[in-house]
Amino acid sequence: MKLKKYLTLTRAGIIESLQFRIATAVMVAGNLLYLIVVYYLWKAIYASAGTDIVNGMTFTDTMIYLVLATALFNFMEMYTVWEMGRNIQTGKIVLDLLKPMPYRSYLFWSFSGTFVTNFLFTFLPTFIVVGIVAGGQIPLGINLLYFVISVVMAIIINYSIDFIVGTICLFTESIWGINIMKQVIVLLLSGATIPIAFFPETLKTIVYYLPFQSIYNAPLSILLDGSPTAENLLTTLGVQLLWCIITIVLSKIFWKASLRQITVNGG
Amino acid sequence: MQNIIEITNLSKEFKVLNRHEGLKGSIRDLFSRDYRIVHAVENISMNIEQGEIVGYLGPNGAGKSTTIKMMTGVLEPTSGEITVNGNIPYKERSKNAQEIGVVFGQRSQLWWALPLIESFKILKDIYRISNQDYESIMKLYGSLVDIEPLLHKPVRQMSLGQRTLSDILAAFLHNPKVVFLDEPTIGLDVSMKSRIRTLIHALNKEKNTTVILTTHDMGDVDALCRRIVIIDKGKMLYDNDIEHLKGFFGSYRTLKISPEGDIKKQTSVLERELKNFGVSVSNDEEWISILVNEENANVIEVLNSIQKNHKIGDMKLEEISTEEVIRKIYEEGVE
Repeated sequence: MKLKKYLTLTRAGIIESLQFRIATAVMVAGNLLYLIVVYYLWKAIYASAGTDIVNGMTFTDTMIYLVLATALFNFMEMYTVWEMGRNIQTGKIVLDLLKPMPYRSYLFWSFSGTFVTNFLFTFLPTFIVVGIVAGGQIPLGINLLYFVISVVMAIIINYSIDFIVGTICLFTESIWGINIMKQVIVLLLSGATIPIAFFPETLKTIVYYLPFQSIYNAPLSILLDGSPTAENLLTTLGVQLLWCIITIVLSKIFWKASLRQITVNGG
Repeated sequence: MQNIIEITNLSKEFKVLNRHEGLKGSIRDLFSRDYRIVHAVENISMNIEQGEIVGYLGPNGAGKSTTIKMMTGVLEPTSGEITVNGNIPYKERSKNAQEIGVVFGQRSQLWWALPLIESFKILKDIYRISNQDYESIMKLYGSLVDIEPLLHKPVRQMSLGQRTLSDILAAFLHNPKVVFLDEPTIGLDVSMKSRIRTLIHALNKEKNTTVILTTHDMGDVDALCRRIVIIDKGKMLYDNDIEHLKGFFGSYRTLKISPEGDIKKQTSVLERELKNFGVSVSNDEEWISILVNEENANVIEVLNSIQKNHKIGDMKLEEISTEEVIRKIYEEGVE
């Protein structure tokens, strides 16, 4: 069975990430701290706005959105760029290239185990807590299914973008600056730090033409919309699918071209 | 016998940016198009048969790793041809990967945080090894090394020797046709080195696996390789049996004497006195070594000449070691 050789990497990833219990605990604690900051920040924003609803969102809406965005970030961010950069710098990439499967798949499936554990240990608990605290504000129905589909596509888009950025490391051989830049751009333009509803109109338009909002904004808006119109749903998922295809193709072509460059000129 | 690796007129050039010194130079480099061509490997040809152990030697920076990388498919040759088991490595890297195993002494392909057995299981699935083959190879491993205590130890807690041993076992796991070992004994103690050599030898015998071994340790070469290939500055210097190597520079012998008096002073005196014989003189704590080429001079004559002016406390005669031949080749090249 062909899938088995990929799933074994998922399995390894799960076991591997379970070895680092303390790291997981620290991550959860760090997020809690971040969320406290976010809570007071937005409380102040709403207090100074003087109205209960800002840009069509109540304080509770905003908080639910941001908490879930953070949770989503925690399980989708796989530090691909770091890993690739490190492998390139240490030369370990040579060993990975010599596995009998494409490097892009090898890396993705190696990370996939972390998805599973992070989903179970950070996203799911956060989701349940938010669901209880918010007292039924999160609709629970068929939207959950759409949400899962949307998240899968978001993961693929996020990975492909990361992979493109990681490929750049082949040339620059430095990781830190590029990674930070990527992270800031993605987090801002995807609506993970500030809901896109708060963006000025021009920026909003620009953002809707970029792939980033398909990573966080798309799945979250599907999840939080209790009664979506078929048209809305299809547009969101359709746009995601489109970006999936574009980023996959781009990252593959870019990788292939870069690798050729590297194998011809050495690295 | 069938050739498993065929290399014809293989060359590899790199384009390297000419770097300038200092801050100013570094800024200028950003826009520079001032490249020079480095010939890492030039016009190498060789055929390697199934089941051979070939020592691939050369000083640091000779182009060994570049050749290995081309054979594994990580680098594309500038010109010339390679086939490994009928595949062109850089074109069919994934397919080729299924048929080869690699160990780079400095790095590990094992899963750092996991016990060794888990790494083996992952590799079993990745290389799609059948249960039957997996069990038979594990049985073989069990008979060759004391593997039980290693299996349940996380790789990060292993000593360097244990890790290298595990890496070698991992490279042979999918029963590849060729295994590339890049300095497998680097940094290991004497007993571990010998265990690793025994293991490589046994696996080669048992599975008829071709082994390409690069190393700087002549002990590895003497213990494992019947054939050696030497390259330097990208060019092939030698490709033949190890027995031929010793006669390669004519017949060399080392005369060792322990003189009375200050050894350093004596060495320089002897160097002057024996100039006519065309010998090279060196010394360590105890002995003065005189390397004699028997085509130019007779050892007995050299000894006679020494005895005229010096008192010899003790002496011995040694055949030249592989290490010394290789060193001569590295230092002086081949005429």
